[in-house]
Amino acid sequence: MKVRIKAFARFREIIGGENTVDLDDGTSVLGALKRLSAGSDEFREACFDREGTVASHVVLMINGKRISGKDRETMVLQDGDELAIFPPVAGG
Amino acid sequence: MLNRDELERYSRQVMLFGETGQEKLKSATVVIAGVGGLGCPVATYLTAAGVGHLRIIDHDVVERTNLNRQILHWDKDIGVAKTESAGEKLRAINPDIVIETAKVTIDEETAPGLIKDADVIVDAMDNYPTRYLLNRMACKFGIPLFHGAIRGFDGQVTTIIPGKTACLSCIFPKAPPKEIFPVIGVTPGVIGMIQANEVLKYLLGTGELLENRLLVWDGLRSVLETIQVERDPSCTECSHIKK
Repeated sequence: MKVRIKAFARFREIIGGENTVDLDDGTSVLGALKRLSAGSDEFREACFDREGTVASHVVLMINGKRISGKDRETMVLQDGDELAIFPPVAGG
Repeated sequence: MLNRDELERYSRQVMLFGETGQEKLKSATVVIAGVGGLGCPVATYLTAAGVGHLRIIDHDVVERTNLNRQILHWDKDIGVAKTESAGEKLRAINPDIVIETAKVTIDEETAPGLIKDADVIVDAMDNYPTRYLLNRMACKFGIPLFHGAIRGFDGQVTTIIPGKTACLSCIFPKAPPKEIFPVIGVTPGVIGMIQANEVLKYLLGTGELLENRLLVWDGLRSVLETIQVERDPSCTECSHIKK
């Protein structure tokens, strides 16, 4: 299946603004993010914490809808989904 | 009532929203939390627009590294309190309004006294712990909070109306890690302008605010995108506030 990855801010700098990735049916959000990490240490460091879970401040959305709680890792993606990754910025 | 000088000073915007609108701006009290990269443009344009009472809060002194973006602070101001530096320039731009300055740290103890009588709070901070405190105060006193943040060429901005929209904690439950952030001055310029525009619309009661919308600025591509956000029914800060 094909899933569109929409990256903002620092994530966009690392992997580009929009990518379409081929994933096996049944791939979870975590699986998709690990797939992106496999190609980029920088992405892995920005997206995951030291324990290997998705960093708590990273905002994830599927088809424009925010996902929270355990869905952030376990929700299964569908063909044609758009997974958006947004890292809040902090400066002022 | 507006005097003759004020009618002349604001004549081009009175064409937009009338003397009644200008009087709304004149009677408003706006807290600007932080007078750095974001606070400088916000304060400059609200001063020029004739918001009657600005309370500018910052505990820092001007450093040379601030000067690429904090446009109210000049080379001669290095070592001077940011509140003093900004106050001097803002009073020169518009002597007809009240510029109140507070060189204090915004913390649990000082925040209520600084904020509770305000009509509006502008989040021009550079860290999430203080932003979350401002958000808590906004929810506690029912005061709108105009959030902005930047990094590099990227920025984000939203308008929080307690009880009506997602609050800062609904949108960002966890703070990003602390860092010395890279930034080019135009980025807080763009985001500060949008914050000031939101404040003016709110005070005037006109237009559509960034309610439940996070505006994301990509300065490298010159793209603005909107992310829909919504209240978190289990939010620790705002879920107790009824619509």
